[in-house]
Amino acid sequence: MKYMLMMNTPRDGYAKYMSWPKQLLAANTEFMHAFSRKLAESGELVSAMGLASPVQAKLVRAGDDGKPVTDGVFPETKEFLAGYWIVQVESAARAFEIAAEASTAPGMGDSPLVIEVREVMSGPPQDSA
Amino acid sequence: MKYILMMQFPLGDWKTKSIHAWPPQDVKAHIDFLRRFNKELNDAGEFVRTEGLGGPEQMKIVRAGKDGNPAVTDGPFPESKEVLAGYWIIDVETPQRAVELAARASAAPGPGGVPLNMPIEVRPVMMSSASGEI
Repeated sequence: MKYMLMMNTPRDGYAKYMSWPKQLLAANTEFMHAFSRKLAESGELVSAMGLASPVQAKLVRAGDDGKPVTDGVFPETKEFLAGYWIVQVESAARAFEIAAEASTAPGMGDSPLVIEVREVMSGPPQDSA
Repeated sequence: MKYILMMQFPLGDWKTKSIHAWPPQDVKAHIDFLRRFNKELNDAGEFVRTEGLGGPEQMKIVRAGKDGNPAVTDGPFPESKEVLAGYWIIDVETPQRAVELAARASAAPGPGGVPLNMPIEVRPVMMSSASGEI
């Protein structure tokens, strides 16, 4: 089974993160590297991505002519995806264990890191119809 | 440059308007579109990966308890307005190209084969890993 473990951040989360003390930033980065490396070594890591700040996000939809219509992000949105891991595991319990470990990443302690866990569906195959 | 294209779906409409509530022929037309779109991205060398996610009813929120064991509660977050239905990671030459592809994805057929013109959130990817080396 594949699961997506998602880290969310408030709109100003990246600006706050960049103002962390250097040592804490380094400890957080080291944690993230070591965590991904460990998942890769156990064969459970499918993919990990860190996203740019929601300040850089755009909302795009097709207009009636199919051409892109671009806008800022949802004004009411409070939480944005900051990054995620896709893991391949034997059970939901194992996905929760991994998510709990991710949530122990060092931080300022002002907003606890919670991880959203979703099962990945087997999507349409890419090259067979 | 890598970008993520996120299909954000209004959470309140999930039960009544998401693909799970569509007639089978509309679901098929939508999936056929996704297959063509993914193949096109792949042929252009712009495809990195795509996933569709399970619905909000299966979503869990996890944090480590004091003992390090997982504390699991049902999602989504009460303040959530949108739910991520799925996403693409693409590798493109320019931000404009990412926007163009987002508009293509946005026009995927919905009920009655009418383009959904759904909002797609586009963000640059800062780092990626499949090996643990970021």
